[in-house]
Amino acid sequence: MSYNVVGRSIIRADAKEKVTGAAIYIDDLRFPRTLYLKVLRAGVPHAQIKSIDTTEAESIEGVYKIISRNTKRVEKTLLYGTCIFDQPPIAFDKIRHAGEVVAAVIAESEKKALEAVKKIKVELVELPFVLDPIEATSSKAPLIHKRNGEYKHLSTFIPIPKSNIFYKYHLKKGDHENVFQEAAVIVEDEFEYPLMNHAAIEPHGAVAHWDHTGELHIWSSSQAPFVVREVLADMFKLSMNKIQVNVPFLGGGFGGKSDYTIEPLLALCARYVPGYYLKFRLTRKEVFIGTVLGRGLKGRMKIGAKQDGIFVGLEAQLYFSDGAYADTSCNVVLAAGHNCAGPYYFPNCSLQSFGVYTNTPPVGAMRGYGHPEGQFMIERLIEQLALKLEINSREIRMKNFLKPGDTNSLGQKITTDNGDIRECFEKMIKVLEVDPLPEKDDRYIYGRGIAALVKSPVQAANASSNVFLKFNEDLTVNISTGGTEMGQGCLTVLAQIAAESLKVSVEKIRINYEINSQLTPYEWQTVASMTTMRVGNAIIAACDKAITQFKNNAALVFNCDFDDLVYDGRTVSYKDESIPLENLVLGYQYEDGHTVGDPVLAIGSSVVRDVTLPNLETGQYQPYEWTFGAQGCDISIEKATGRIRVLHFVTALDIGKVINPETVIGQITGGVLMGIGAAVKEKILFDEYGIMKTTNLKRYQIPTIFDMPDKFTCILVENIQPNGPFGARPMAEHPIIGVPPAILNAFQYATGISLTKLPVTPEKVLECLKERS
Amino acid sequence: MEVNLVVNGRKYTLTVDPKDSLLSILREKLNLTGTKNGCNQGHCGACTVVLNGKAVKSCLIRPKKLEGGNVITIEGISPQSPDDKLHPIQEAFIKATAVQCGFCTPGYIMELYALYERNPNASEQEIKSALGEHLCRCTGYKPIFDAALLAQELLKSK
Repeated sequence: MSYNVVGRSIIRADAKEKVTGAAIYIDDLRFPRTLYLKVLRAGVPHAQIKSIDTTEAESIEGVYKIISRNTKRVEKTLLYGTCIFDQPPIAFDKIRHAGEVVAAVIAESEKKALEAVKKIKVELVELPFVLDPIEATSSKAPLIHKRNGEYKHLSTFIPIPKSNIFYKYHLKKGDHENVFQEAAVIVEDEFEYPLMNHAAIEPHGAVAHWDHTGELHIWSSSQAPFVVREVLADMFKLSMNKIQVNVPFLGGGFGGKSDYTIEPLLALCARYVPGYYLKFRLTRKEVFIGTVLGRGLKGRMKIGAKQDGIFVGLEAQLYFSDGAYADTSCNVVLAAGHNCAGPYYFPNCSLQSFGVYTNTPPVGAMRGYGHPEGQFMIERLIEQLALKLEINSREIRMKNFLKPGDTNSLGQKITTDNGDIRECFEKMIKVLEVDPLPEKDDRYIYGRGIAALVKSPVQAANASSNVFLKFNEDLTVNISTGGTEMGQGCLTVLAQIAAESLKVSVEKIRINYEINSQLTPYEWQTVASMTTMRVGNAIIAACDKAITQFKNNAALVFNCDFDDLVYDGRTVSYKDESIPLENLVLGYQYEDGHTVGDPVLAIGSSVVRDVTLPNLETGQYQPYEWTFGAQGCDISIEKATGRIRVLHFVTALDIGKVINPETVIGQITGGVLMGIGAAVKEKILFDEYGIMKTTNLKRYQIPTIFDMPDKFTCILVENIQPNGPFGARPMAEHPIIGVPPAILNAFQYATGISLTKLPVTPEKVLECLKERS
Repeated sequence: MEVNLVVNGRKYTLTVDPKDSLLSILREKLNLTGTKNGCNQGHCGACTVVLNGKAVKSCLIRPKKLEGGNVITIEGISPQSPDDKLHPIQEAFIKATAVQCGFCTPGYIMELYALYERNPNASEQEIKSALGEHLCRCTGYKPIFDAALLAQELLKSK
């Protein structure tokens, strides 16, 4: 199939705005009557609040209002969420993590607000705290939520009352009670994927304004304006048409700006100063301690196999340190639970995943959403199985990869439409092996490692994308979507999809990036790598309707059958007569002025179909779609410093039809580097008092240019997904998944040491090398 | 305190707090929002501007260092009239697909602007070390490095 603009690396729609500094992000917006919010955070991880005294702080000139549990209308019952409604916007009786907001100051400037924050006096009764998810499940652990089990929650998420476990997911497949009955060998190990921070370079910010008619207007650095709207409507018992959530450009998201973060607190505070615009921008430290973190897994896994390496069973227990509030992590727990089986066929599975309250900031979505955690475990463990069976790990993987007709852990049948994991794997290895791995020398030892991966978009079972399409009189097109541009390039890719569908040049298309929930049609949220697929399909539907409208107008003029008309992007023709689209776009006007037909406006929708909720007994359900891939790398380990460097990193992903190759490659290089950070650098650390230590970008080290591999290879495998736009499949988070296991597998190849806890820092490497010698 | 400085060729006399940063002066007083605040601690480089010919992290610069200073921000090298073209470094960032979320982009561009003004023949190592002052979470750095090399080429052939 040949395309006009699909499949081409056209220039990004937002590139000029961004290279000139003209692109508007949340903190660049300017408002009249602006006030500023600064907050007092608890500073201890677990405590009962005895008293809060704001008298002195209130007397500071320039302070408008201080909000705390003492404030009228701040009530204990004010809890929000979307899965488990357990979070107060401001601490009421208890502190559950050190970054929790105890009081908030509204003042004429941030300086004044900060001055007042320092004068607030809080009496706390400190309680024992727990940070480790396995310790937190013990009966001796401090109970973080006495009301666990009583909170309003979706029926899918089953809490264990009187414990810190707010969600236990158990996936059972085949003979789940005797998983290893047929096993000749069993390997098992324990794994850790620490708490991490998304570290988007733009900190979170928002502005809230209650007008005098009772409408709430919010501008936020959010990936999920419609979730913010839903949460605020529920919290304030406000009708949705009176909430306006606006989203400008986002300076990176990676899941850290999905769902909601600071908006409930800000909206609550702004209510006390109606008519004003209240601005809340987080410091870098507050991004660490006062939004959401990612990952936080401790787990065990067991694989059972026959002597020839064929898998017979998988057992796993995953414990997630999910922080003080459960809501944003529920689905991560679910996703990790079912996809820790990786892209492999197991006849029998018993996979348990626990969401556990701990005294850290809440944990939420992070690029990969449960997949990097579980697949780190299995991809490491396969290497150990290979050693035990004395079979090459590649051969084991090839033998066990899911193929069409197999059922995955969820009982879902894999089809050819899901793509080809074997093709990815073989192509990746072929490229990786072009350059021989260097022989070890005085300074370095070298290793080669591989991993396979699979990812499904974890989304609401009724998630949808919807767009409004408007043809202007000059045949340019505006399309409104609630999909947020956070760097991934959706404005560009969606414009390509629209241009191809309408058979017009891409310059004619403007995807409206300005999101306003009162004007923009519903979009579930920009997560799960679903924008190309779901919004893309909605755009195709809208384009089809627009073309139909052109043809309907033409049919009235030609007085012919609709089916005999041909639309070609410039005209609608009937036999050898044609009418230019300009003469049809507002309906067709005859010479005497009278007009037939209607202007060309269209809506398009794409609702995920056939996705079900997890069965409460078996944990099985139908997710949406899968993307397969394989990754591999060569690494060097510097003996003197313990530094791991990636020499060559290869990623092969079966993403179906590639809409814009450079955008895809951009996602891969970025995702791989984020994965390198997870493998060798990033970990949130706490001190002995439960206070986070890694609260800036020096102590929490994300990769720099010096961590960039010497060579990147991206292999785009294009087995068509018939349900995707032009055959495209979800792709964005995926390249992060296989990176840590591939690097640690390479480390094992180089040193013979099997590591199962991330990150492998230079100190850790030196320790290992010392032990080895 | 009062400070006299030139920003993007315009003279200003500003009343500022001695504890203010150049970043906050640019963003809050002059509304030059192209310069980004990523960490306010000198770690990320998003706020980089050119001060007296050198790339600086504007969040770390206090007013006493600004008296008589000459500041160039991303707005200063961007088209000033409808007929102006993008600066070659900006061109290179677009061509090399070095822009994703765009939040770190102005900082990188100003870093390279200062580098190439001072040393058009900067070596790959010097370029890498200049870029090493910045963080980007989207691109994986490779496209930024490519853009830097391309920018050097474009500037030389100008």
